[in-house]
Amino acid sequence: MNPKHVALTFGKELREALRDRRTLAIMILLPLVVYPLLAMLAAQVATGREKQREERASSVAVTGEGPARASLLAQIEKNSTLFVLVANGTSADVENGRLDALVEFDPAAPAKLTVVYDASRDESRIAEERLAEVTAKALPDGCAPTFSMQRHSLAPKARMGGYLLSKALPLFVVLMVLLGAFYPAIDVTAGERERGTLETVLCSPIHRFDLMLGKVLAVATLAALTGALNLGSMAVTLLQILRLSSQTIVLDVPWGHALQSSLVILPAALLFAAAFVALGATARTFKEAQTLLLPVYFLTIAPAMAGAVGDYRLAGIAAWIPGMNVTLLARDLLVGRATWSGGLAAIASTLLLSTAALAAAARIYDSERLVVPAPRRQSASAAVAHATSAFDALVLFSLAFLLLYFVFLPIEQHHLAAGLLAAEWLGLFGLVLLYARMSGQRFANVVGFSRPAPLTLLGAALVGCSAWAAVALASEWLAPVPKHLLEELRKSIVPLDGSRGFAATLGLMALSPAICEETLFRGPILRGLRTRMDPSLAAVITGVLFGLFHLDVYRIFPATVLGTLLGFIAIETGSILPSMLAHLCNNAILIALAYGGLDQRMENLSHRATTLIMIASVAGMTAGFALLRKARQKSEV
Amino acid sequence: MPEPLAVLDSASKSFGGVHAVVELSLSVPGGEIYGLLGPNGAGKTTALRMLAGLLAPTTGRALLAGCDAKTTQAKKHLGYLSGSTGLFGRLTPAEVLDYFGQIHGLSRDAIRARLLSLAPALALDEILDRRCEALSTGERQRVSIARAVLHDPSVLVLDEPTSGLDVLASRFLRDFVRAERGRGKAVVFSTHYLAEAELLCDRIGFLHQGRLLSQGSPSDIRGAAGSLEEAFLALADRGGGKS
Repeated sequence: MNPKHVALTFGKELREALRDRRTLAIMILLPLVVYPLLAMLAAQVATGREKQREERASSVAVTGEGPARASLLAQIEKNSTLFVLVANGTSADVENGRLDALVEFDPAAPAKLTVVYDASRDESRIAEERLAEVTAKALPDGCAPTFSMQRHSLAPKARMGGYLLSKALPLFVVLMVLLGAFYPAIDVTAGERERGTLETVLCSPIHRFDLMLGKVLAVATLAALTGALNLGSMAVTLLQILRLSSQTIVLDVPWGHALQSSLVILPAALLFAAAFVALGATARTFKEAQTLLLPVYFLTIAPAMAGAVGDYRLAGIAAWIPGMNVTLLARDLLVGRATWSGGLAAIASTLLLSTAALAAAARIYDSERLVVPAPRRQSASAAVAHATSAFDALVLFSLAFLLLYFVFLPIEQHHLAAGLLAAEWLGLFGLVLLYARMSGQRFANVVGFSRPAPLTLLGAALVGCSAWAAVALASEWLAPVPKHLLEELRKSIVPLDGSRGFAATLGLMALSPAICEETLFRGPILRGLRTRMDPSLAAVITGVLFGLFHLDVYRIFPATVLGTLLGFIAIETGSILPSMLAHLCNNAILIALAYGGLDQRMENLSHRATTLIMIASVAGMTAGFALLRKARQKSEV
Repeated sequence: MPEPLAVLDSASKSFGGVHAVVELSLSVPGGEIYGLLGPNGAGKTTALRMLAGLLAPTTGRALLAGCDAKTTQAKKHLGYLSGSTGLFGRLTPAEVLDYFGQIHGLSRDAIRARLLSLAPALALDEILDRRCEALSTGERQRVSIARAVLHDPSVLVLDEPTSGLDVLASRFLRDFVRAERGRGKAVVFSTHYLAEAELLCDRIGFLHQGRLLSQGSPSDIRGAAGSLEEAFLALADRGGGKS
């Protein structure tokens, strides 16, 4: 690494970005002008309305006869600034807004008094509160409650303020940093290519890693600045709002903790900058980069949101999920409960992920791929010309996800087998079939269907039969599945009523997913992504999409690892069949374990047995991939 | 014969099934201007990109000053001018030149001194502090040339450098290239203007459908055909059909 080259590129990129109106608008105009202005206006309007409501006398009526009626009327008349007494009224008047509240005495039950009000109307709610006060004073002696309950929270006001802020601030930080990284990342990669400066840079004696590090640092700086400016602006706005409404809102902001919490801007900015720059580097145009980055932007918001509202601990897999880890760290710092282990885990994982993204960016930003003109698409009539693109891959994933979430999951909840079959064969296999037909391609070409060598099938089967153990043990270590969820999963595989036999379960949960999920994921999705990026990166991203598709936070990790391994098999063999076989073996073994009750026994294995299983699993996978490689070398010869 | 500074040694480049350049060999010593001629799509840009280290030959070699053109060492000897005059629009020429000068290991003082010597020839004085996006095509080309020669490279690779320039700017560029040859530089450039090549080049190579049909001095190639255009058409007919 040449630090001088990194610094030069960092300075150059920063200077360019700060002269870009779009970057400046997002970084400075929004946080420093627009947000405070809108927030202040909203606060002033809200405070004004609140005061108006408080100053306005509530129109009330009292009907029926009761022992306290006279004293209540006297109390109402005494507080003439608070009430306007109306002679008569009904519930309909309250409902129509002609009356704010109505007090009804029931002659049949003299001790009963009903206050009728409309809880959806502020004026009516205020009238009810006022009436509650005067009614208490108007009650005859001996009617007052004999005891009262008082709540006493041990949380100091500052901690309470921290708690309330922790629900919003960490997510806000992540959103702002993401926003701050978005355009600069595209600008320094796809933008450079579009402006024609790429060749000039790549002809210079600068290493790609230094170049990309300079770019990532510049984008991270801009993202961190955006985050810091937004936070600062929000803090000032919050102070103003608190000052304006000091009568009504009691919130003690723990400024020290908030300041500590804001430090997560730095790792977050670095991570998002590296990830966005890596993705931007794969795009040919600014527009294409936007299309690529937008889904990632929203995918990152989801775990950040889960971290903000959920009750997760900053440990295990949560410390490794981008977006979630920094949100959890910011939350813990804000409420003053951050631990060294949690903080270090989040920082270390963020740094590690950032480095991986940076290395990927440096690898992708290769002149060989970037300066070659994009292959021209032929007309739709030229059927053979169309090939699955990265964009097609993302659209197919989105469609499959939408179908699963809105159509097939509800069916699964009513009837598991029917829902699963429909989701696999219609939502995945059918979708790819439809895509092939609409794009004028042969189905076999879209999914990469070709006859594999016997050695290849043997290697794939070995990987499929070995992977489950390592994946299961690693998942158990990183994010152990709660017992009740594990039990539910077991019941879905082995129904207690015996309504489904072993063979039927194999067909439903092993064979069917192996065919249909591979058809989509290791078919057009992997093949489409490979047109834009390094095969290894495409396999990993396909694996992540596969993990997310399982819609279960505890299955994301195992499914991602399995999906990535299956991706490598498909890449190594150039065919979809071996990955289908490996997928089938993996699922079949898990089903067999569940039917034999062996999965429960595995939960209680000794450390030594677990280690041995892990070693055997990794050895099996290694041997499987060695066979796959050997088969490929043989075919090349 | 002096040592060649720019060499393509049986270099081929394929993109998928498309053969952009096929077994191209050329070697250019210092003090020579070599023109690569051919119609659009002949493979000129691909050949120059191999020389500039932007593309690795599928087979064969590309060397600059004896080093593999892909290496950082080779790039220190290279001054490359692409067809798109790649300048950072939001920076000023002074900033662009400062960045590339320092990437090439020049100190700020050395850059300033070099600019002083280049400024009169390239008429840079008045435009150094304006943003590149506000410059005219000719002005951008002048800044691009300054950027390419700032570190005083021994090899200049110029991809259609006069494309889009007016008569005066084109003439200025030709004069500049001649002056660089006089300073012992090896210059390789591509053009589809045959007349320009005839005016400027010591040697030319005719590229057609990725293959080098012929190379030699303009007068040798012109030969009996009378003009370079006629000679090229005759060669194209023999070598690979009409262009």
